[in-house]
Amino acid sequence: MRRIAAVARNTFREAARNKILYSLLFFALGLIISALALGQLSVHEDRRMIRDVGLFGVDVFSVLIAIFVGVNLLYKELALKTVYTILPKPIARWEFVLGKWLGVMATLVAQIAIMGAVLALTLMAEGGPDALDAALAKALWLLLMNVTIVTSVAMFFSAFSSPFLSGLFALGVFVVGRSIPDVRALAERMGGGGGRLLTAACTLLPNLHLFTPSGSALGGVTVSVHGSFVAASYLGWTTGYALGYSAVVLACAMLIFRRRDFV
Amino acid sequence: MTDGEPGSAARASEPDVVLRADDLAKTFRLGFFRKRVDAVRGVSFSVHRGEIFGFLGPNGAGKTTTLKMLMGLIFPTRGRAEILGRPVPDRQAKQRIGYLPETPYFYEYLTPEEFLDFAGALCDLPSAVRRQRADALLARVGLDHARGRPLRKFSKGMLQRIGIAQALMGDPEVVVLDEPMTGLDPLGRKDIRDLILELGRAGKTVMFSTHILPDVEMTCDRVAIVAGGRLRSVGTLASLLSPRVLSTEVVLRLAGAATPPALPEGARRLPGDGVAAVELPAGADVDGYLRAALDGRATVVSVTPRRESLEDVFVRQAAAGAPGSAPS
Repeated sequence: MRRIAAVARNTFREAARNKILYSLLFFALGLIISALALGQLSVHEDRRMIRDVGLFGVDVFSVLIAIFVGVNLLYKELALKTVYTILPKPIARWEFVLGKWLGVMATLVAQIAIMGAVLALTLMAEGGPDALDAALAKALWLLLMNVTIVTSVAMFFSAFSSPFLSGLFALGVFVVGRSIPDVRALAERMGGGGGRLLTAACTLLPNLHLFTPSGSALGGVTVSVHGSFVAASYLGWTTGYALGYSAVVLACAMLIFRRRDFV
Repeated sequence: MTDGEPGSAARASEPDVVLRADDLAKTFRLGFFRKRVDAVRGVSFSVHRGEIFGFLGPNGAGKTTTLKMLMGLIFPTRGRAEILGRPVPDRQAKQRIGYLPETPYFYEYLTPEEFLDFAGALCDLPSAVRRQRADALLARVGLDHARGRPLRKFSKGMLQRIGIAQALMGDPEVVVLDEPMTGLDPLGRKDIRDLILELGRAGKTVMFSTHILPDVEMTCDRVAIVAGGRLRSVGTLASLLSPRVLSTEVVLRLAGAATPPALPEGARRLPGDGVAAVELPAGADVDGYLRAALDGRATVVSVTPRRESLEDVFVRQAAAGAPGSAPS
């Protein structure tokens, strides 16, 4: 456990000293705060506007950070040859991969916490303490689960390909994963071999739409982050889904990493 | 092969063998057409407890690939390796090894203190022990003054020293260093050489790869020479070097009317400033030449028999391993 924690701590420290990540974070914070101005332009929909723009900012930037850090994670260790110093130490390769993943997750938790706190402060600046509710916290939690999967997928690709290709693949998985209901509908309409192929892809790829349910009908009721949002049980099973999917993808990354020659 | 290592009685289960390579081979498949490259072609040797073992070879001989196979960074295509009686890459064996990679790259955003703490945590050391060892090692490698400076600001020599410090964090019994002196200035090389000798005196087993021969002559108890992916020789320096005299260099001073003796057959004059220097071939009558010189009123300044040097052996073995040469 100490070895995994050491790798995680070092990964977090690396991210904390990375200027590019700070730039992304500042962009996100800028977008969230700018929602105040956008709110002023709307008619009696200030809070709704701030919440929508703010959560959009957290979503987009957390995914960008997850892909950016995830695809570079293992590749950088190989390209900079730092792995030559680490792996001869008494650490198993799977422990190293797990430690890296935990380090990135710690980074994302910190980033989402900062962005969430700034969004909450922005909402309070507009509507006082009443502007905050459980729906906001639930939405942020779901976005965290979303990047849990995105990070694992990005790391999986980075175990065997370059950051550019890994980034493209991870972004592709994110876009398709977010559109799973539409892809399923398309598969039904298409039918035949193409339809079956799309259905198989929907089964294999992560259903990231689960993590942005606002506006969808769940059990016949339309949920909204501005009103009646998801129940605790929904958070429970989507969290289980995110962790389970991530575990499977990470296990695949570990298997690939286990047999690699570090030339 | 001098020691007759492969398949010999030198087995890892014997108490004094700490590291053993048995017919290690690695073939890479490179490029789109998966071109076959045999980097190491069946190398066998053993390293004994407490010795300083030099792993010699020209660039591209397969030294680093062999060391990476020993460290579990590369999987051998054939053969096996054992460290302290356990197959590579066993975690218990890795617990007792320290390794410095060739041209080491470290996390440049870390300070030496943070880096050594990280290395110690990977060796599963508790925090208090890590702190204590990091302090001692920073002092030992002379980096106490730079403990708060990020590694990106370190010179090549300083990086090599922090690299050795991280290899020692787990207090290993076996220390493996890949080209530890390469790229260092003479002072830096001396520092690392002294550190290796100090490790040897402290009872550690040290194996290091290099192509710098004087460093080997000054530090190693035994050496192995690899070339073309094959082991060419292994043994003590004395056993590798032939005691046979290859030639004799005679230096004479010719004052006043002194005349130099006639050159024997096969001898050649050497350049000399104010002296007459000649090289007599093996088997020449050195005594007769000196008598003739004294009779001619010359003064004998020096008589130096030249025996085979490590460089001679190295060049011969490297040439044998060069592409196009017959495999030995």
